[in-house]
Amino acid sequence: MTALSAPGRRRGRVVPRGYGFAIAGIAVGMAGLVALGALADRISRFIEGGHRFVLGQISVAGAGIGRGAGFTAGGLLPERTLEAVRRVPGVALVQAQVMLPFDPGTSELFSVNQELVLGVDLRVPTPNRSYPSFPVAAGRFLVPDDRGRVVLGADFAAARRLRVGQSLRIAARDFVVVGVLERLLTAPDRFAIVSIQDARELWLELDPLLRRLFETPGGLAPDDLNTGAAVGWAPGVDPDALAARIRREVPDVNVAAPGEVARRLEASTAFFSWLMAGVGGIGLLIGGLSLSNTVAAATFERIRDFGIKQALGATDGQLLAEVLRESLAVSLAGGGLGIALALVAGGAVDRRAAAAGQQLFLFSGRLIAFALGFAVVLGAVAAVYATARILRVPPAEAIRRGA
Amino acid sequence: MSGEALLRVTGLRKCFRGPDGAVVDVLRGVDLALAGGELVAVVGRSGSGKSTLLNLLGCLDRADAGELWFRDERLSGAGRRALARFRGRHLGFVFQAFNLIPELTAWENVLLAARYAGRPRAAAVPIARALFERLGVLERADHFPPALSGGEQQRVAFCRAMLNGPDVLLADEPTGNLDADNARVIVEELRRARSGGRAVLLVTHSLELARVADRVLALSDGHLAGAGA
Repeated sequence: MTALSAPGRRRGRVVPRGYGFAIAGIAVGMAGLVALGALADRISRFIEGGHRFVLGQISVAGAGIGRGAGFTAGGLLPERTLEAVRRVPGVALVQAQVMLPFDPGTSELFSVNQELVLGVDLRVPTPNRSYPSFPVAAGRFLVPDDRGRVVLGADFAAARRLRVGQSLRIAARDFVVVGVLERLLTAPDRFAIVSIQDARELWLELDPLLRRLFETPGGLAPDDLNTGAAVGWAPGVDPDALAARIRREVPDVNVAAPGEVARRLEASTAFFSWLMAGVGGIGLLIGGLSLSNTVAAATFERIRDFGIKQALGATDGQLLAEVLRESLAVSLAGGGLGIALALVAGGAVDRRAAAAGQQLFLFSGRLIAFALGFAVVLGAVAAVYATARILRVPPAEAIRRGA
Repeated sequence: MSGEALLRVTGLRKCFRGPDGAVVDVLRGVDLALAGGELVAVVGRSGSGKSTLLNLLGCLDRADAGELWFRDERLSGAGRRALARFRGRHLGFVFQAFNLIPELTAWENVLLAARYAGRPRAAAVPIARALFERLGVLERADHFPPALSGGEQQRVAFCRAMLNGPDVLLADEPTGNLDADNARVIVEELRRARSGGRAVLLVTHSLELARVADRVLALSDGHLAGAGA
């Protein structure tokens, strides 16, 4: 009796038979939802990272319209001005910085997210409260006596396939890569961080006018070559109030208070925020419509089965429970497959984009959990809706319609 | 009649609205009583309302007027849940188109009836096995309906109808899609089914098939009339 040696052995099927097309349909919709969501998350993380950074420090530059590429627009910030900033009550730390475009030939007009050389005064702890240290993925961070050494942001390193121990040419100088940062999904991913002494020398090499000024007797000293400074505040001090005090008490500075910069950043990134919301919304719409339509259609297709089951004595509750079980299995299968598709496709795109130091998608656990939850809930709602519609049809009519 | 009236209808009326909006009175006050142990055939030409009558008797559709009783229980006006329970516990259906669920195996199709009737699987399995054996479809139990012949499908459908030991078996053109050999098997099973106090209603346009019945009724112009045994 081979046929019944294991009667009903197919009862263990996780996904009901005959739902292949529905699962494929859901998978396509969910893949779109997850991919667009990951794109939106990536943009969002970049903007959030910028906010975190500017809120973590007061950025100061010299008066004027600027020569380097500091966080704050302005001119040279000489040592005497830095000293004046240090003396302002409430200031805890002042770290001189030099920020230069990595490729001086590239206009910022053509670069949304420019690669930068950041020179930091390594004798002073990083004042930024959001990034007191940069997490290092490989190698180490710079130490005060490091010269000719560079630590690279993740995208900067990936774009050039650079690893610890290899060499990076900046302007006409070779630097040894001693560390690569973890991917932060924000600006420092595209930084090459060097000591401030190295950065000053690079600046002089790159800027003939500055070199002439520097060589003029009685002109600039090396410590005067700063594009800006990061200022940290003492515990309990209001950073915006401290920024205002620096502005009042120290002449010839441009001061960016965290609150002001955040507002400016918010305004300047409003386009991206709306784009992100739009992309996320479209993803939800496409994924949601695809999923609910597929589940509802798959349920409507079974109208004859409903009639037959009712003839066999199935109650509305039993049918609803069956449909919910099936929709759960189908939504999870379709959702899981869609997520896998998005991960594979997004991963492939990101591998190509990594060659240019870019990452387009951010597949977070939160996004994947949301996508699965969305699939399950929307699938259940669509299945219940379709079932309720079918149950309004008498069983005889349901059998006839489905025949 | 050879026993008490199990299923009884009085003044049963049903009309449908056609695509042109015209109302068609299919049943115009049908009275019928099915007694335990009898096989009744309802004959009539296509479109005469035979299937409609069977659907109303099986609570698969609602009548516009009239009363339906099962023993002393009034089913007209009963709730959906009560009607579902009634169908599961007291009725068995055999359809012309078999109406097996294609995504389930023959075995799963049959056991579905037990599940909806609230019968334990352990109690249903031996009965299902015996039915499959008797109707010669045991070796086909794990096949899906599309892989079965028409005759095999109808035999599986018959197993499903009989699994819960229904009081009333309703068969709508049960041999309509079968060859002569398979039709003979089903006819034999219908005759056998009436034993043990079960009522069997056979709806057919075939007078030859109707000859197996104890009573033959003719449905014409929405009325049911005796046509002899």
